[in-house]
Amino acid sequence: MKIDVQSLDTFNKLAHEGAEEATRSMTQMTGIEATVEVTKISLVDREDLGEEFGRETEFVGVQFGFEGALTGKTVLIFERERSSEIVEALVPGGNADESMAQSSVEEIGNIMMSGFIDGWAEYLGTTIDHSPPTYIERTGKDILPGSPDTNERDQVFVFSSEIQWEGENVSFYIYMVPEYEPLTKLMSEHRDEEADAIPVEKLAAFNQMTREGTQRAAENVEMMSGIETEAEVSQISFAPIEDVPKQFGEETYVGTAVEFTGIPSGFLLVLFDEQSAITVAEGLMPMEMESSELTDKHKAAIEELGNIMTSGFVDGWANVLQRSVEHTPPRLVHDMGQAILDPLAAQLGQHQRHAFMIDSKMKTEDLEFESKIHALPNEQELRETLDDLDLDRADQTEANVDQLF
Amino acid sequence: MKVYDGSETDSSQEEEPERVKVGIAEYEVTTDSATLTTSGLGSCVGVGLYDTKTGAAGLVHVMLPVAEEMDDGKPAKFADTGTELLIEELEATGSRRRDLVAKIAGGSDMLDFSEGGSGIGDRNIDKVKETLEGYNISLVGEDVGGDHGRSVQLKSVDGDFLVKSANRDDRTL
Repeated sequence: MKIDVQSLDTFNKLAHEGAEEATRSMTQMTGIEATVEVTKISLVDREDLGEEFGRETEFVGVQFGFEGALTGKTVLIFERERSSEIVEALVPGGNADESMAQSSVEEIGNIMMSGFIDGWAEYLGTTIDHSPPTYIERTGKDILPGSPDTNERDQVFVFSSEIQWEGENVSFYIYMVPEYEPLTKLMSEHRDEEADAIPVEKLAAFNQMTREGTQRAAENVEMMSGIETEAEVSQISFAPIEDVPKQFGEETYVGTAVEFTGIPSGFLLVLFDEQSAITVAEGLMPMEMESSELTDKHKAAIEELGNIMTSGFVDGWANVLQRSVEHTPPRLVHDMGQAILDPLAAQLGQHQRHAFMIDSKMKTEDLEFESKIHALPNEQELRETLDDLDLDRADQTEANVDQLF
Repeated sequence: MKVYDGSETDSSQEEEPERVKVGIAEYEVTTDSATLTTSGLGSCVGVGLYDTKTGAAGLVHVMLPVAEEMDDGKPAKFADTGTELLIEELEATGSRRRDLVAKIAGGSDMLDFSEGGSGIGDRNIDKVKETLEGYNISLVGEDVGGDHGRSVQLKSVDGDFLVKSANRDDRTL
């Protein structure tokens, strides 16, 4: 089954417009002014779905099933800590007792989600039925619906939108997890026959490659520090180019950036939040704890670490692709996340309107830190790479990593 | 695009001006003393326009220099069309071009890997300045270039343009 950038864009827009419609319904009912910040479509391992929600945060919201041209599940959720403010704004006095708070959440969920699903059905010129809302409260990634059990695939597409309540530090999230087969069938029907197609199964293979790259980066960290490091989560996502930096917000990150050349070319970032940077620099490098602030010594350690992670990642790719991938020396970055990403997005944005972003994560059992690797490949070249990708080879990689690396 | 005309403002909020966020490739205009904010400017540029007579204000967050190179129906994404659009939208709320002044921030060259020639940040700044000149709007403040990110707040109560950076002191233009 083949899809193309056009069909990914169309479906991403649909999800975005659906989320905007849902937000308008909420504004009309409650007066809450909110904006849909980012909508993206990602392909992710089923077991990693919702990994971004962490392990401890509690969420409440509503869940729906939908059926028809598309089948699957959707949730509208927000952090439990914020739920009383939200319920109060939605339904004044709604917090009086728990069942009332719950039914307020259900009611607003119902209104928002009808808008969301109707938008899809209208565009697709078909009907999509949805079940009544179920109130849910769960912790971390469990808040998201798993992929349907009938689905054998180990990767799922997920549409995610973040909706921000203006002037408040409160976000709502809409996640839609459609079944793989009907979705890819619809996407392939909506593709432009003239355009360069992407075989959808190759996107999944690319995710596997990214996992191998991250694995290799983790091995390098382990070799340098002696600390066991695990590669986690990898996903490929697609969004308008201007939405790439938005996902990083104002939080400060420390890390390295390189430009890689070859096919595909692009940018690779290794980023730590400030606290992780301090922990990891002190944990991995023989250095004395001098200050709880990030010092130049910490930064030098991060630069070194970024360098070996980058080489590991790039080597992993180059091996699978059997192409050489060169990269520039790493540049140390320490700034607001969005400001780090925007020059990279702008450089790609001179030639493309959308971007594929490849994200992966690694962590250790011993140290509390998280490191994220983000690759922003040139879109056209990524397509060429996927075209040339020998699926047997990618499969083989999964079967026997040692042989290849 | 939303124009904030005050009809939605709660009277209890009078002391604290409403804050309106402007995303990448977006713009907002206010005639209602709101504070317009945008964050995470790297090579992007935040262009603020302020009407010295009426207090109307507008802010656009542009990403790339020239629309022609990559036209995709999002004028606020580009330095040239974004600046033009902001001027026109302020005029549409009753502002006169001669009463407008401009303040800009951003356009850093951090992480610019382009070889030779000037980077995107510089080109964004040049294009914004050229467009403002073309409309005879004076640039009365700027905090641009360098290799760090910035966030800005345009306070339409007094036209102050506050520039914040991750590792530097705040600056008011």
